[in-house]
Amino acid sequence: MTYPLWLIPAIPLAGFLVNGLVALAAGWQRASARTAAWREAHPDAGHGDNALRHGDDHGHDDHGPALPYWQRLFHGVVGVGSTGLSGVLAFGVLVPYVRESLASKDGLPAVVETAYHWMSAGPYVLDIAFRLDPLSALMLSFVTFVGTLIHLYSIGYMQNEEGFGRFFSHMNLFMFSMLTLVMANSLPVLFIGWEGVGLCSYLLIGYYYDKDFAVAAGKKAFIANRVGDFGMVLGIFGIFSLFGTVDFSFVDMARQQAVNGGAPLSVYAVCLLLFLGACGKSAQVPLYVWLPDAMAGPTPVSALIHAATMVTAGVYLVARCSAVFVLAPGALTVVAWVGAGTAIFAASIGLAQNDIKKVLAYSTVSQLGYMFLACGVGAFGAGMFHVFTHAFFKACLFLGSGSVIMAMHHEQDMRAMGGLKPKIPQTYWTMMIATVAIAGIPPLAGFFSKDQILGAAFGAGHPALFAVGLVTAGMTAFYMFRLARMTFFGTFRGSEEAESHVHESPATMTVPLWVLAIGSLGLGFLGIPEVLGGHNTLIEFLAPSLAVSHPHEVSNATEYLLMGMSVLVAVAGIALALRWYGAPGATSEVPSVQADAFYRKTGFLGPVVANKWNVDEGIEALVLSPFRKIGNVLWRGFDALLIDGVINASAFMVELTGDLTRFFTTGNVRNYVLTMTLGVLAFTLYVWIR
Amino acid sequence: MNGELLVFAAASAVAIVSALAMLFQKTPVRSVLSLVVTFFALAVLSVLLAAPFIAALQVIVYAGAILVLFLFVIMLLNLTQEAAEKETRVVHRFLSVMGVLALGGILVGVTWKAGNPPVPITTSPNAIPVLGVDGEIPLLGRLLFTDYLLPFEALSVLLLLAVVGALLLSKRRFE
Amino acid sequence: MSPATSAAAAVSVMAVAPQAYLVVGTILFAIGLAGALLKRNALSIFLSIELMMNAVNLLFLAYARMRGDAAGQMVVFFVIAIAAAEAAIGLAIFVALFRARQTVDVDKINFLKW
Repeated sequence: MTYPLWLIPAIPLAGFLVNGLVALAAGWQRASARTAAWREAHPDAGHGDNALRHGDDHGHDDHGPALPYWQRLFHGVVGVGSTGLSGVLAFGVLVPYVRESLASKDGLPAVVETAYHWMSAGPYVLDIAFRLDPLSALMLSFVTFVGTLIHLYSIGYMQNEEGFGRFFSHMNLFMFSMLTLVMANSLPVLFIGWEGVGLCSYLLIGYYYDKDFAVAAGKKAFIANRVGDFGMVLGIFGIFSLFGTVDFSFVDMARQQAVNGGAPLSVYAVCLLLFLGACGKSAQVPLYVWLPDAMAGPTPVSALIHAATMVTAGVYLVARCSAVFVLAPGALTVVAWVGAGTAIFAASIGLAQNDIKKVLAYSTVSQLGYMFLACGVGAFGAGMFHVFTHAFFKACLFLGSGSVIMAMHHEQDMRAMGGLKPKIPQTYWTMMIATVAIAGIPPLAGFFSKDQILGAAFGAGHPALFAVGLVTAGMTAFYMFRLARMTFFGTFRGSEEAESHVHESPATMTVPLWVLAIGSLGLGFLGIPEVLGGHNTLIEFLAPSLAVSHPHEVSNATEYLLMGMSVLVAVAGIALALRWYGAPGATSEVPSVQADAFYRKTGFLGPVVANKWNVDEGIEALVLSPFRKIGNVLWRGFDALLIDGVINASAFMVELTGDLTRFFTTGNVRNYVLTMTLGVLAFTLYVWIR
Repeated sequence: MNGELLVFAAASAVAIVSALAMLFQKTPVRSVLSLVVTFFALAVLSVLLAAPFIAALQVIVYAGAILVLFLFVIMLLNLTQEAAEKETRVVHRFLSVMGVLALGGILVGVTWKAGNPPVPITTSPNAIPVLGVDGEIPLLGRLLFTDYLLPFEALSVLLLLAVVGALLLSKRRFE
Repeated sequence: MSPATSAAAAVSVMAVAPQAYLVVGTILFAIGLAGALLKRNALSIFLSIELMMNAVNLLFLAYARMRGDAAGQMVVFFVIAIAAAEAAIGLAIFVALFRARQTVDVDKINFLKW
C-alpha cells in the first residue's frame, strides 16, 4: 500500500505530543502530591513555601526507578514505537526505490510529494514538500534505524530518571525535526528542521536542568548554532537571488550552469555562507566549541544528536548543494581546508582528555572534519559514505560508553576505570569492534569510508590535505586505543566500593550495541572500491543526486599504496597507544595529570592540549568580552544618557514652556481686551498690506 | 448748502463730542447721560439713512430703557465716582491708546479710501423705499414674519431667558 | 419703480456721500474701544461696549442704504433687542459681583490669576 511521505516525520511528531502531554499531566500530579505531603510534614510553613524550594531532590539518582512501571512502559512504547513505525514506513518507501534505482541504468528520478501549500509571493510558490532521492534515502535509512536503536537503549539508560517522559518527548521532537530536515524538498523546509534540531539539542543538553553547567552548555550550543544559522539564512537568500527559487530544483539549474561554465562572484559568497551554517551545525572550527560541552547531556543524546544525526546535517547540506559548490572551486577549497584543519585540531585535543565522553566528542568533531574534507575535494559521495559508517560506529561507541558509565555509577573519568573487560563483556566486545572500525582497520566499515576520502584527496591533487588526513588517522587510532586500554585493560583503579557495583547493562541496552557493532562490521562492504573488486555501490547509488564530480583517476598501484599507508598509520597509532599505556604503571592509582603518559612524553604541549588549546578562553577574550563591553557602553552611555535624556529633556521643555506662559493669565479683564485689540490690529494690518 | 448735509454734520459732531465726553467724565452718572445724548444724535443719523423706525426704536429701547437700567444699577450700587486712586498701569494705557489710534486710523482711512460702491448691487424685493415716498413699516413687518421669523421667535425666548437670568443672578440668596 | 432703479435713485438723492456715515461710525467705534480699554469701572466699560454696538448699528444702516436692502435694518432691529437682553444680564452680574466684593473695579477682580 502506498502512503504519503509526510507520514514519516509526522509520526514522531505525534509521539512528541502524546509523550509530552502525558508527562506534563503526570508531572503536575506528582508535584502537587509531593507538595501536599511536604505540607503535612511542615504544618507551620509559610504561604509561598513548597517542596521545591526546600531542596527536594528531583534530579537524577540511582536509587531505583523514579516513575511507576506503567508510565515508563507507556513512554517507552510511544517513544520507541513512533520512531520505529516511522522507520518501518521509511524503509517501506525507500527499499523499493533503492532496488529499482540500482536496477535501472541511470537511477530513478526523485520522488517529490507536496504536503501543504505554504506561501505564494507573487508568481513564486513555496510548498511544504518532501523529497525522496538517493541522498535523502541514505540519510533516512540510518537516521531512523540508528534513532530507533538509541530510543530502545534509552529505556534502559534513563529508567531511574524522573524526567523519563520529558526525555522521550524531546527525543521524538528531535526525530521529527531531523526527518523534516532530511526529507525536505526546499531550503526553507530544511531550515525548519534545522532550527528544530537545534532547539531539541538545547532542550536535551539541558535535560538536567538543575545543573548549572548543563544549562550553560545548552545555551552555548544554541548560540554557536545561531551564529551558523545567520550564515545559513543569508545563504538561503543568496540562493534565491541567484536561482530565483529555493526548492531543490535549483540544484538542477546549478548543474546546467556547470555545463555552461562560469559562475559570478556571488556564488562564492553564497557557498561560503551556507558553509558557515554547516560549520555551526556540524561543529567545525571555530564553531565547534559547543560540542564537547554538550556532553553534559545524557549519553543517548550525545549518541543520537551529537554523533549520528544532527551534526551530519551540515554535511548533508553541503552534499545537497554540491552542484552549487562545484560552481565555486574556491569555496570548495575553503571547505576542504576547514575540514582538514578541524580534523587534525580536534584529534590533537582528544589525545589528552580524561573524560570518556569528551574523547568521543572530539573524535566526532574530527570525523566531521573528514567528511567536509571529502566534500571539499569533490568527493561528495565519499563524504556521505563516511557519514553513514560514522553514524554506526560512533553511536556504538557512545552507547557503549554510556554502558560503561552506568556500570561505573556515573563515573566518567577514565583514570578511575580499568580492567573492566571481564566484568562487562558485551560492552567490551561491541566497543572494541567499533574502536577498530573507527581506527580504520580493514575490513571494517571505517577503513573503506576513510580510505575513499584519503584516496580522493590525493587523487584530486591535494597531497597536503592527504597528509593531514593521514596524520589525523594515526591520531584517531592512538586516542581510541588509549581509551580502550584505559577503560578495559589493566587493573581497576577505582575504589573497592565502585568495583563491587560494576555490572553489565540490561538487554535493552546491549541489543542496540550489538546491532550497531554488526553494522560497523559489515556496512563497509557497501562501498568497496573497484580496485578491490567491488562496484562502489553506495557511491554509484548516490551519484544522481550529487554534483558531477571529476575524479582524477589514479592508477591501481597508487590506490594500493594509499591504502597501505593508511593502514600502516593506523597500526602505528595503535601500537604507540598500547606501548605508552599498556606498560605497567603507566596510569596507576588515579594518577595526577602529570603522571599520564601523554604528558610525560610530550612535555610542554601536554597541558595546553589538555586544556583544549585554550580556545574557550580565547573566544571569551576576543569575542565575548568586547561584546559585553560594547553592550555596557551602549547601555549606560547611549541608552541611559542619550535616549532617556532626550525624552526627559522634551518633557522638561514642555514644563518650562508652561511655567513661562502662565504669566499671561493675569485675571485682569483689561489685559485681555488689550490683547484682543492688538490681535485685531495685527490682523487688520495683515489684510491691509495684502 | 444742502439741508441734509447740515443736519448730518451737526448730528455727527454732537455724537462724537458726547462720546468723547462719555470717555472723559469722572462719574458714571455723567457718562450715562453723555451716552444718552450720543444715542439721540445717532437716531438723527438713522433718520437720515431712511430708517425712521430704527431711529424710534433706538430712542425708545436704547436710550429710554437700557440706559435707564444702567442708571438704576448705578444708583443701586451707589457708585458715586470713579476710583480715586491714580492709574498705575502706564504701559497698559500707553499700549491701548496706541492700539486704538492705530486700529481706528486704519479703519477710517480704509473706509474713506474705499469710496462709493459704483452701483447698488441688490435686486431683492426688499428695497428700501425712498424716504418719505413709501412707508417702510409694512416692509419691515413683512420681513420679520417671513424671512426672519425664526430669529424673531428665538429672540422672544432670549428675552425670557434674560429676564429669568437677571432675576436669578441678583437674588440675595438661592431659595 | 423697479427695485434696482429705486435704490439707485435713493442713493443718487443722497446729498451726503455714504462713506461719510461709515467714517462717523468707525470713529464712534474707536472711541468705544478706547473706553473699554481705559476705564476701570466695570459699568463704564459696559457703557463703552454699548457705544461700540451702536456704532456698528450705524454702519449696518449705512450699508443697508447703500445697497438698498432692508436686511441691514433687520439686523439692527435684532441687535437692539439682543443688546437689551445682554444689558439686563450683564448688570445683574455686576450687582452680584458688587455684593461679593464690594467693588466694581476690574483691576481688583482678578480671581483667575495664575
